[in-house]
Amino acid sequence: MTPHTRLIRFIGILFAATVFAGAAAAGAPQSARAATYTPISGTGSTWSQNALDQWRKNVAANYGMTVNYSGTGSSAGRRDFIAGTVDFAVSEIPFQTAPEDGSAPEKPASGFAYMPIVAGGTSFMYNLKIGGKRVSNLRLGGETITKIFTGKITNWNDPQIAADNPGLAMPNKAIVPVVRSDGSGSTAQFTLWMSKQFPTLWNSFCTLVNRATPCGLTSQYPTYGNAKAQSGSLGVAGYVSQDYGEGAITYVEYSYALKSGFPVAKVLNAAGYYIEPTAPSVAVALLKAAINTTPSSPQYLTQILDGVYNNADPRTYPLSSYSYMIVPTAVAGIFNTAKGNTLGAFTSYMLCEGQQQAAALGYSPLPMNLVLAGFDQIKRIPGAGSANVDPNACNNPTFKKGDSPTNNQLAVTAPQPAACDKQGPNQCTTGTAGAAKTTTAITGTGTGGSATGGVASAGAAATTTTAAAGAGDAPAYDANGALVSGAAASAGSAVSSTPFTLASATFGAQQATMLAAGGLLVLAVILPPVLSRRLRRSGSANGK
Amino acid sequence: MSTTLDLASARNFGPDDRLDGLEESDFAASGTSIPSVEGVETGPRRNLRKATLDEKFNVIGAAVAAVALTTLLFGWFTPLTGVVGWVIVAFLLFLGLYVLLVALRSDRQEVKDRVMTALLVSAGVALFSALVFVVAYALIRGREALPHLNFFTQTMELAGPLDPLSLGGIVHAIVGSLIQIGIALVITIPLGITTAVFLNEIGGRFARFVRTIADAMTALPSIVAGLFVYAAIIQLITHQRSGFAAAMAITVMMLPIVIRASDVVLRLVPGNLREASYALGSTRWSTVWHVVLPTARSGLVTAVILGTARGIGETSPVLLTSGVTAVLNFNPFSGPMISLPLQVFDFVKSPEPNMVARGFGTAAVLLLLVLGLFTVARLIGGRGPGQLSDRQRRAAVAASAGDLQRMSARPLDERVEAPALPIAPQSPAPSSTAPTSSEETSQ
Amino acid sequence: MSKIDAPPVRRSLVSAPSRSDSAFKAVTFTAGVTTVGIMLAVGLFLSIRAGAALKVSGFSFLIEQQWSPDTRVFGIAAILFGTISIAIIAMCVAVPLAIGTALLISEVAVGRLKSFLVSMVDLMAAVPSVVYGLWGLFFLQANVIPVSQWISTYFAWIPFFRVSDASGQSLTEASAFTSSAFIAGIVVGLMVVPTQTSVMREAFSQAPIGEREGALALGSTRWGMIRTVVIPFGRGGIIGGTMLGLGRALGETIAVYMIISPIFTINWQLLKTGTNSVSALIALRYGEASDFGLSALMAAGLVLFIITLIVNFTASTIVARSRSGAETG
Repeated sequence: MTPHTRLIRFIGILFAATVFAGAAAAGAPQSARAATYTPISGTGSTWSQNALDQWRKNVAANYGMTVNYSGTGSSAGRRDFIAGTVDFAVSEIPFQTAPEDGSAPEKPASGFAYMPIVAGGTSFMYNLKIGGKRVSNLRLGGETITKIFTGKITNWNDPQIAADNPGLAMPNKAIVPVVRSDGSGSTAQFTLWMSKQFPTLWNSFCTLVNRATPCGLTSQYPTYGNAKAQSGSLGVAGYVSQDYGEGAITYVEYSYALKSGFPVAKVLNAAGYYIEPTAPSVAVALLKAAINTTPSSPQYLTQILDGVYNNADPRTYPLSSYSYMIVPTAVAGIFNTAKGNTLGAFTSYMLCEGQQQAAALGYSPLPMNLVLAGFDQIKRIPGAGSANVDPNACNNPTFKKGDSPTNNQLAVTAPQPAACDKQGPNQCTTGTAGAAKTTTAITGTGTGGSATGGVASAGAAATTTTAAAGAGDAPAYDANGALVSGAAASAGSAVSSTPFTLASATFGAQQATMLAAGGLLVLAVILPPVLSRRLRRSGSANGK
Repeated sequence: MSTTLDLASARNFGPDDRLDGLEESDFAASGTSIPSVEGVETGPRRNLRKATLDEKFNVIGAAVAAVALTTLLFGWFTPLTGVVGWVIVAFLLFLGLYVLLVALRSDRQEVKDRVMTALLVSAGVALFSALVFVVAYALIRGREALPHLNFFTQTMELAGPLDPLSLGGIVHAIVGSLIQIGIALVITIPLGITTAVFLNEIGGRFARFVRTIADAMTALPSIVAGLFVYAAIIQLITHQRSGFAAAMAITVMMLPIVIRASDVVLRLVPGNLREASYALGSTRWSTVWHVVLPTARSGLVTAVILGTARGIGETSPVLLTSGVTAVLNFNPFSGPMISLPLQVFDFVKSPEPNMVARGFGTAAVLLLLVLGLFTVARLIGGRGPGQLSDRQRRAAVAASAGDLQRMSARPLDERVEAPALPIAPQSPAPSSTAPTSSEETSQ
Repeated sequence: MSKIDAPPVRRSLVSAPSRSDSAFKAVTFTAGVTTVGIMLAVGLFLSIRAGAALKVSGFSFLIEQQWSPDTRVFGIAAILFGTISIAIIAMCVAVPLAIGTALLISEVAVGRLKSFLVSMVDLMAAVPSVVYGLWGLFFLQANVIPVSQWISTYFAWIPFFRVSDASGQSLTEASAFTSSAFIAGIVVGLMVVPTQTSVMREAFSQAPIGEREGALALGSTRWGMIRTVVIPFGRGGIIGGTMLGLGRALGETIAVYMIISPIFTINWQLLKTGTNSVSALIALRYGEASDFGLSALMAAGLVLFIITLIVNFTASTIVARSRSGAETG
C-alpha cells in the first residue's frame, strides 16, 4: 500500500529468494554429480583452455566426472597451486625456483609433478597483400622471425624476407608485429625458442628494452618500435584480421588462424624445409622432446626442447612445445585421495582418448614418449591407483598397440613435406591454415609449386611483370577510396580491398577549387532567403 | 503523506491552470471562496509542449536541405569523403539551415531555444543510436545461439568447444548471476542507503569524512575490489573461489556507487519539507521515514539500479573471485559459481566460432535479464512522490471534488473555522464544476 | 508535546532525543562506520600490499615511466598519464552527451517516451564491459581510424593531435592510429554516459516547480528556463554525475584492456597507437606477476586511488557550495 512497505516487500522477496536458493543448494549438487568421482578444480594456462574445456565436457558426459577449469593464466595457476586453492594447475613454464626478479622462489609446500597434457606449435598468423591479393604462402626462417619480433627487420621488402620467399615480390610495407599485452604461455614458449636458438639477437633486444641480460623466456612481451600489443589470442588474431591490420604479423595458436580464415607462415626447420604447424608436424617434432630426469636438478621433470627446435626430420615444425599439468603427489590442503582418484582418471583420459580431438581443437596430439612420461606421473598421484597407465590400452592417435617411442605409428605415417617447401628457388603456391584454399600467384623471381603435387609446375614460374611492379609503388586511390571499407575479413577469400589512406596531406589547387565550389553551393542555398528577406524589409521601409 | 500530496498537486498543475485568477481578496473577504474565472483577462496560451506546423516544417525542411546539400557536396563538389564526415557535415548544415529558417520568423531568444532543443535532441539521438548499436551488435553476433531453447535451459557441463549450439546452455551462469547480485543487494541496499541517510540527516565532521571516503572509492578500479576479496577472503578464510566471495567483491564495488548516487538524491529533498515535518513535531526518525525517503524514492531506486547495473555487468571483480565452472551450483559458499559477464568473457576468448556466438548470446541474455530486473524495480519503486498512477490521480480528483461539494454545502458562518482549502489537484473535469458551485455559494 | 499546564517549570529548549531518534542515530552511525570500515580495509590492504614495492622504488615510483618490477625499474608516470588521458577523452565525449540527454529526458520528453528513455539509459548502464570492448575492437576502431587520420592531418599543429614517428615524420598509415587513447576514450566515454545521465536527470527533475513556472511566466523560452533555473539548480548533480562517471572511467578495466596497446612511455600524441591504464595493467599483469610484481601493481592502484580522492574532494567541495547541495547541507 504505502511506498515503503512495498520497498520492504521487494527487499524481502529478494532476500527470501536468496535464502531459498541457498537452501536448495544443499540438495542439488549432490544429485547432479556421480557417486564415484569427487569434483576437482584447477586454474592456469589460457593456452590449453580450449582443450581442457572439451575434455572436461567429455569426462562429464561419459564418466560423470566434474572438472572445473578456469583459464586465468599460467602464473596465476601456479600461484593458486602453491596457495592450495586448486587441485591442479596448468602452465607452460615450470615453477620458477630462481625468479629473475629476485622475488621469493615459487615452491609448493607439498609434492608435485609435471605432466605433459597437450602440444602445439607457435604459429605466425599474418595479413599481407601483394597488389591487392592476399598472400597465403609466406615462408620465414627462424632468424627472420626473431629479427621481425626484435625490431631488426621492419619492412616486408627486407632482403632476408625476400630470400625466404623467392616466389613473392615483397611489397614496401612496414611490418606491424603484434604481440600479447597480457602475460601468456604463448609468449613464454615463443621467447624460450628465441632465447635458445638466437641468443645474441634476443639478448641485444633485451638490452634495448631495459631487461637484464642474458635473458631467458618471459611471459610478458616487451613493447618496442612499431609493435602493437593486444590482449589475449582473440585480441592479436582480431587485430591481424582487420583491414587496418594489413602488414601485421602475430604469434598465436594455430586454431585462431584456422578459424579466422587467415594464413600462417611456414617456418624453416633444421632439415631445410618450410613447414606449417599442423598437428602431425608438431607431434613429429616432439618425438625428440626430452624430460629432465635428474632428481637433484631444480628443473627436475621439466621439458628440454633443444632437440625439438633442431629436429633433423624434414617433417617437423621447429616451434613446437607442450604445456604441463601440475599435479599434487601428496595429500595436502584441499587435496585428498578421493580427488586423486578423479584426477588420475581424468589425466589418463587426457593422455589417451583426449588426444584424439587435439587436432580438431587446433592442437597437436602428444607423441608416445610424452605419453609414457605422463603415465609415470599419474602413478605418483595419491589415490590414482585405478587409472589406466598401460600404453597398450591407450587410444592415442599417434601410436598403436605394441609401438615403442622410437618406432611408432606417427613416425611412420606422418606426411612428408612437398618438394616446393624445400629451401630454394621453388615456393609452394598453396595456402596455409585458414586460407588453405587460397593459392597465391607467383609474383617474385622464384618458381611455384603446389604442396599437394609436390613438384614445381613450370607453368607457374612466370616472373613478375605488372603485379610486382604495382606492388612496390605506393597505391594510388581516388578520393572515394575512403568509402571502401571492404569485407576483407571474410574467410579464405583473397578479395582485393582498398585500405584507407589519405591520398596526401598536401592541399593543392584542385582541392582548393573543389572546396570553393562546395562553399559556393552552400552560399547558393543560403543567400536567397536571407537576401530576399533583407530586400523585402528595406523595400517595405522605403515604402513607408 | 500530506506533504507528498502537496507536491503532487503542484506537479499536476499545468502552467495554464495557474492563470485561472486566484485573487487574494477572495480569501480575505470571506475566509474560503472559490475563485471565479469571470472577468479575468488571460493572454494567449503559450504552447510549450507541442510543435506547430510551422516549427515542424522548419525541422523537416532543414533536415531535407541538409541531406541534399551534403550529398551534393560529397558526391560532386568537394574532395570530402567518408561516412563519418558525411554525418558531421550534414549535421552542421542542418543546424545552420535550421537557424536560418527559425530566424526568418522569430527573435533571437526563440532561435536560441530552438537550436538548443535541436542540440538536446541530437545528443539524445547520438547517444541512443550508439548504445542501441552496441546492444544490436551483441544480439547480431549472438543470433546463432539465441534461437536454441537449450541455451536457456541447459548448462555447459555436457557441452564443449567442438559441440554444436544445439547442445549446452548458460542456465548455470544465469543462476550464478542472480545469486551473486542478490547477496550483494541484500548487503548494499540497507547499508548504502542508511549510510547516505547518515551523511545527509546526521551530518557532522565524521559524515564528511565518510562522504569523502565513499566518493573516493567510486574510482577504485573494480579489479582491485576483486584482488582485495581474493587476498582477504579467499586466501585467508575460504581457500576456494565461491559465489559468496564474488558477491563480496561486487558489494565492495557497488557500495560506493549506491552511496554516492543516493547521497545526490537525498541532498535534493527540499529542506522545507524536512522543516515542515520537524515543525509538526515529528522526530528525526519519522521525518526520514515518512518525508525524506518517500520524497527521494525514485532517486533511491535509480541509485540502486545504477549500482546493480554496474555490479551485474562488470567482469573484473568476479574474474579473480568466483571461479569458472560449467556446472549448475546453487550454493554460494562452496565451489566455483560463474556469473554471466564472466561467462561472456570466458566464451569469447575461445577460437571456436560456436563458443564466440555463445558468448554474445550470453551478453544478450544478460541484457534481457537486466531489463527485466529494472522494469520490476521501476514498477515497484520508480514513481516519484508527486507522480501518481492514473487510478490514484482519478481517486485524488474525485476526493477533492467531494471535499469541494461538502464545503460548499456548508453555511457561510461555519466556514470561518473551516480549515483552509488545500489546493486540490485539478484536472479539467473538476475545474469545470468549480465555477458552478462558486456561483451557488456567492448568492 | 510539552506540557502546557505546568507553567512554573522552566521549559528546556534542548529537547532530549526520543528513543527512536537515538536508535536511528545509532543505526545510521553504525552504517557509516561499517562503510568506512570496509573502505578503509580495502585502502589499508592496498597500502600494505603496495608497501613492499614502494619501499624499493621510493619517490621514483611517481616519475619513472618504465614498468619492469622484475628489474626493480618501475614507475607509474606513463601509466598514470595514459589513465588520465583516457579518462579526460572519455569525459569530453560523455559529459556533453550526458547533460544533453539528461535535459532531453527531464525537460523535453514527455509521457511514454520519457519513461522509455529512462529505462533505456538504465539498461545501457548494465551492458557488460566486455561487450563494449569487443564492439570497440571489432567495429568502432575501423570506423574511428579515418576520423583520427583526418584530425591528425588538419590539426597537426595542435601537439595532442600530431601523429609522428620518433624522427618527427608525420604518419598517415592506418596502423599508426589503432589502439590509441582516443579510441579507448570514446569507448569508455560511451560506457559512462548512462551512469552520468541517470544522476544528472535525477538532479534536473528536482528543480523547484515554482521557479520553473516563474521563469516561464516571465516570458522566458524553454531553453531560457533551463539555463536560468534547471542547470544552476542541478549543478551539484552535474558534478556528482561527472565524478561518478570519472570514477568509472578511471577504473574501467576490461574494455580498455581489450582495446589499448600498452606502452610504458608518455605518449602525448593521443591519436597514436599506445597508451596505458592502471586497471588494465593490473588485469594484464596479475596473471603472470610475481609477488613483488603484484605489490607494484597494488601500488599503482593505490596512487590512482589517492588521485581520485583528491579530485573527488575538490568536486565535493564544489557540490557543497552549489545550490542543490547547499540547501540541505
